[in-house]
Amino acid sequence: MGLFDAIGIAGSGLTVHRKWLDALSDNIANADDVTATSDGAFRERYVVAQEMAGGGVQVAGVVLGDADGRVVQDPSNPLADADGYVRQADVDLTSQMTQLILAQRGYQANAAVVDRAKESYQAALQIGRTS
Amino acid sequence: MSIAPVTAVTAVTPVQGLAGTGAVTAPASDGSAFASVLGSVDSLQQMQATTDGLAVQAVTGDLDDVHDYTIAAAQSSLAIELTAAVRNKAVEAFSEIMRMQA
Repeated sequence: MGLFDAIGIAGSGLTVHRKWLDALSDNIANADDVTATSDGAFRERYVVAQEMAGGGVQVAGVVLGDADGRVVQDPSNPLADADGYVRQADVDLTSQMTQLILAQRGYQANAAVVDRAKESYQAALQIGRTS
Repeated sequence: MSIAPVTAVTAVTPVQGLAGTGAVTAPASDGSAFASVLGSVDSLQQMQATTDGLAVQAVTGDLDDVHDYTIAAAQSSLAIELTAAVRNKAVEAFSEIMRMQA
């Protein structure tokens, strides 16, 4: 355990939430992707968070959603197959926006921890200074 | 009337160390205590170097996490405040000793 551990741990939380925001950004950006039925659809990214041994959190990896997507009929689409079907990304925008709020609030919470920890350490430095 | 013989003086018990005062360990004569202070100054310098490196990354666009820089800056500023506080206390103690009169 080091001198400024609270700050370091909150920093690891900030990194994980930043990566979660990145993944959500990717999912939302690709929500309207259309591919031919012969190809796989866009696969959603899910960030897997995991606790670290000495305290803190880290991204254990990224799990991808299924490539089935939604097969919809759109004969006017140049990617459509002989029967007029294309494959759309199956991204639930409502869920992504909800997660976006969670990720943002989580990031802000960790940033608040950094600030509070810094204020606390500065209060400790003021001990005995009123002479 | 008989005079009572003088009894032998009991041995004076040696004065015990003042209870309550924590034993002050004398710094090793090889100056290792001072060297350890220099060591912590080195780690402070390292912290500053990390912050500087991240600041360069920030302006060159190589910084991955904004908070990495702000956290490093907060940590090094706290560390320098702590070092200054310790130094001021040490100088204060030294001046106090120098003011002592016989």
